[in-house]
Amino acid sequence: MSNKRKLWQIFGPVLCAFILLIILFLIPWQNGEKSDNALFKASVSQSQTVFKGQSIKQAAFEKNYVPFYGSSELSRMDALHPSVLAYKYKRNYRPFLLGGPGSQSLTHFFTMQETVDQLSNKKAVFIISPQWFTKQGQNPAAFGMYFSQLQAVDWILGAKDSVATRYAARRLLDMPAGTASETTKYALMTLASGQKLSKYQTLYLKARRRMLANEDNFFSSLGMTNNIPKIQKEAGKLPGTYAYDNLRQFANEQGQQGTTNNKFGISNGFFDKKLNNKHLNKLKNSQKNFDYTKSPEYADFELVLNELAHEHVNVLFIIPPVNAKWAKYTGLSQSMYQECVAKITKQLTSQGFNNIADLSKDGGKKFFMEDTIHLGWNGWLKVDQYVKPFMEERNHPVNYKLNSYYFTKAWGNKTDVKMPDTKSKAATNIKKN
Amino acid sequence: MDTKQAVLDILNELTGEDLSDQMDENIFENGLLDSMATVQMLLELQDKCDVTAPVSEFHREDWDTPNKIIAKVESLRNE
Amino acid sequence: MINIQPYSNPRYFVILFIALLPLIIGLYHGRRFKAYEAFVSLLFLFLMFNGKDWIQGVQLIGYIIFQFLVTFAYQKYVNSGKNKTSVFCLAVILAILPLAAVKIAPLVPNKAADLIGFFGISYLTFKTVQVIMELRDKTIKKVDPITYARFLLFFPTISSGPIDRYRRFKEDYDKAPERDKYIENLKFGTRYIFQGFLYKFIIGYVFGTLWLPQLAKDALFYGQANGGLRLSWALLGYMYCYSMYLFFDFAGYSLFAVGTSYFMGIRTPMNFNKPFISQNIKDFWNRWHMTLSFWFRDFIFMRFTFFAMKHKLVKNRIRLSQLAYFVDFLIMGFWHGLTWYYIVYGIFHATAIIINDIWLRFKRKHQKQIPHNQFTKWFAIFLTFNVVCFSFLIFSGFLSTLWFGWK
Repeated sequence: MSNKRKLWQIFGPVLCAFILLIILFLIPWQNGEKSDNALFKASVSQSQTVFKGQSIKQAAFEKNYVPFYGSSELSRMDALHPSVLAYKYKRNYRPFLLGGPGSQSLTHFFTMQETVDQLSNKKAVFIISPQWFTKQGQNPAAFGMYFSQLQAVDWILGAKDSVATRYAARRLLDMPAGTASETTKYALMTLASGQKLSKYQTLYLKARRRMLANEDNFFSSLGMTNNIPKIQKEAGKLPGTYAYDNLRQFANEQGQQGTTNNKFGISNGFFDKKLNNKHLNKLKNSQKNFDYTKSPEYADFELVLNELAHEHVNVLFIIPPVNAKWAKYTGLSQSMYQECVAKITKQLTSQGFNNIADLSKDGGKKFFMEDTIHLGWNGWLKVDQYVKPFMEERNHPVNYKLNSYYFTKAWGNKTDVKMPDTKSKAATNIKKN
Repeated sequence: MDTKQAVLDILNELTGEDLSDQMDENIFENGLLDSMATVQMLLELQDKCDVTAPVSEFHREDWDTPNKIIAKVESLRNE
Repeated sequence: MINIQPYSNPRYFVILFIALLPLIIGLYHGRRFKAYEAFVSLLFLFLMFNGKDWIQGVQLIGYIIFQFLVTFAYQKYVNSGKNKTSVFCLAVILAILPLAAVKIAPLVPNKAADLIGFFGISYLTFKTVQVIMELRDKTIKKVDPITYARFLLFFPTISSGPIDRYRRFKEDYDKAPERDKYIENLKFGTRYIFQGFLYKFIIGYVFGTLWLPQLAKDALFYGQANGGLRLSWALLGYMYCYSMYLFFDFAGYSLFAVGTSYFMGIRTPMNFNKPFISQNIKDFWNRWHMTLSFWFRDFIFMRFTFFAMKHKLVKNRIRLSQLAYFVDFLIMGFWHGLTWYYIVYGIFHATAIIINDIWLRFKRKHQKQIPHNQFTKWFAIFLTFNVVCFSFLIFSGFLSTLWFGWK
C-alpha cells in the first residue's frame, strides 16, 4: 500500500466527519413538526434543557401554550395546579411551565430572548416571588443551571444600545456562566460599553447561533422529565365539571389529607423530607433577619419588564404569600414582606403593569400553601380565579411606559416604599372567597 | 561457573521451579517472578555472577525470559 | 487574556492540529524541526499559564530553574567520581522540596498559601527525581540541558502525565522516526485522540456531569435520613458512578496526551490497559495509571527492597515485601495530598495487595485442591472490581463530605 493511501485511510474518515459535522450544524434545518404530545410533555417537564432551549418553546407558543414564568412553586403539581386544571377542563390554553428552584428575573430575561417573536402581543403569567429579592439577588450557580449560550447569542444579536442593554450586558459579565465563552464575553463587553458589534463579531455569532439552534433542535427534547402521568393522575382526582364551590371543598379535603403530621399545614412529604426534627429546632427564628427590601433583583426584574414591554405582552403578575404559621416560627417579618410587595407593586403599576394578583396576605388561609413558601391546593385555586378570566378575555397588546430609574441602585436600596392604590385598576372580576 | 547454570539455579531458588525446559517463557506474565523476586535476583546475580545491575538498568522487557536474563548477564559481564 | 487549558474543548484540538502541522509535515519527511517544536511548546505553555493563571506560570519558571540547579550540581558531583549516599539523599530531598511545600501549604491557614503550586508540579517531580536516581546508578551518564528542558516541559503531558522516562524520551527526541513508523504514529495518534473524545467528552460527561451530582445529592440526603454511617443505595451508586467517571475522564485525558505525543514523534507510554478486567489487585496496578505505578515500582518499591535486602534490615522476605508495599502505597497516598482519605486510600491498597499476595502463595501451595475455571476467573474480576471501586470511593473524598461536611 502506498503511503498516500495509508495517510488517506488515517485522515480521510476524520476529514469526512468534519465536513459532515459542518454541514449538519450550519445548514438551517427546518424546525421539525413537534407532536402535541411532545409539546405537552415539554410544557410540564420543567427540564433545564427546555428552559435553555429554543425550538420547543417557539413551537409551543405558536400554538395555545401560554408561558408561566416562575420558580420552584411551579413543581407543586397537586390537583389544582394550573397545568392540571387546564388539562382536566380542556381549556383553550395550556400553561407552559418555565422555572424551577433558583430561577429568577435574570434567568427569565434571557430565556425570553429565544422567543421574542412568539411572545409579541401574547399573553403571559409571571409568578414573582419576594424570596428572589435577597441581598445577593440572583445566585450565580443557579443562574448557570438555566443559562445557555443560545440565549446569550440570541440576545446579543438583537440588542440595541440602551440603559437596559448595558445593564443586562454588565449583569451577564458578573456571572461565571456568562463569561465562559470568549467570543460571547467580548461581545458583552462591547455592548456594556455602549458600542456596536463589529461585522466580524456579528458574522461569527450568527454562525454560532445557527450551530446552537441546530444543537438545540436535535437534542434538547432528549431526556426530558416526563410529568404527564403525574398530571393525569392528579386530574383524575378532580370533579368532572368545573364549579368553584365544589373545587373549594375538594381543595380543603386534599389539603386536610396531605398535612397531618405537623402543625404548620405543610405537606407530609415535604415535612418528612426537609424538616425532620433535628432541622426543625435549628430553623426556629432562623429567618429573623431576612430582608427582601434591598436587592439587586429589583433592577433585574426591570429587565424582565423591559422585555415584556417591548413585545407588548399582556401579562398577569402573581405575588404569592409565605405560609404564615411557618413565617411566625422562623421569625420572618410580615411587615418586611409587605414592604417588598409594595415595592414590587409600585415598580409594576407605575409603568403600566396593572394586572396583578396580590396573594401576599393569604398565607394564613387554610391549605393555601403546600409547604413553607410554595402555593398549594387553595392557593392554586385562588390563582385560577385570576388566570381563568384573564385567559378568557380577548387579548389586546398593551402599551407600557418604562422608567429607567428602576435600574438604579437608588431604587434597589430604597426603603419605606408605600403601597400604591391599585384597587381601582386591578383586575376586578375575582370571586370573593 | 557456567552463566546459564548459575542463572537457572537462582531462578529455581526464587520460583521453586526448574525452568530449563521453558527458556523462552515469559516469567513475569505467568506470575513466577514479581518485583520482589526481581530484586532478589539482582542481588544474587551480584553475589554469584559478579555483575552489578542497578535497579535503573532493569527494564522488564529485557529480562522477562530465562534466555533474555542469561543474555543480559553475559553482556553486562563483558562491559 | 486568553487562557487555554489543555484538551478542554474541541477548539483546543483544532488549534493544536494547526500548530503541529509544520512539525507533522517535517517528521513525515524525516526531519524534526526542533526550534519550531520548542516555539510551539512555549506558546502552548504560555497559553496555559496566561491570564488568571500567571502566578502559576512564574512559579513554573522558578521551579524549572531550581530543578536545573539541583540536577546539574548533582551530576557534577557524581562525575567527579564521588558517590556518597548522604549527598544523593540531599539531592532527592531538594528535588522533592517544592512539591512537599505545595502539599503542606493547604494545611497552613493563610491566604498566600492558596497561591502556591501550579498545575503539573506533582508530575514534574517524578521526572526530576527519576533523573537524579539514574545519575547515581550511572544509567544516565550525562544529562543534556536542552533535552532535559524539553523532557520536563513536554507540553502534551506536563499537567497530568503520563510520566515518561528520560532515556526513553531522549531516544525518540534525538531522531525523527522512519516514515513507516511515523505513519503508524499518525494512525495510533488519531485513534487515541478519537478514543479520548469518546471517553472524556461523552462517557465521562455522562457519568461525571449528568449522573454524579444527582447521586451525590441523593447520597447526602438519604445518608442524613438514615443516620449511623450514613450508608444508602445512592452511596453505592455514587461509588460505581465515580469509579467510571474517574477512569473515563482520566483515561480520556491520557489518550489525548499520548495521541498528541505520537503526532510529535514521541511515543509516550500508555497509562491504562483495561483496568476493570483485572483479576487481582496486583494485576490492577499493572493496568491502572501504569506510568505512575511503574514509577513507584521502579523507584520506590524495588529500591527500598534492594536496600533492605542488601543491608539485611528485614530477614523475612515476606515481611519485607509487605513492608515495602506499605511504604510504596503510603508515599503514593501522601503524593495525592495530605488529607485523611488519600492516606487511607494508600493504606487500603497496601492491605489489599498484601492479602492478595497471601492468597496467591496459598493458592500456589494448594494448586490441586483449588479449582481454576471460567467461573473463578469471572468471580476474581468481579471481586477485584468491587474492591477497586470501594477504594475509589475513599479516594473521591465523598465520605469526608458525607461524614464531616468538608472535603
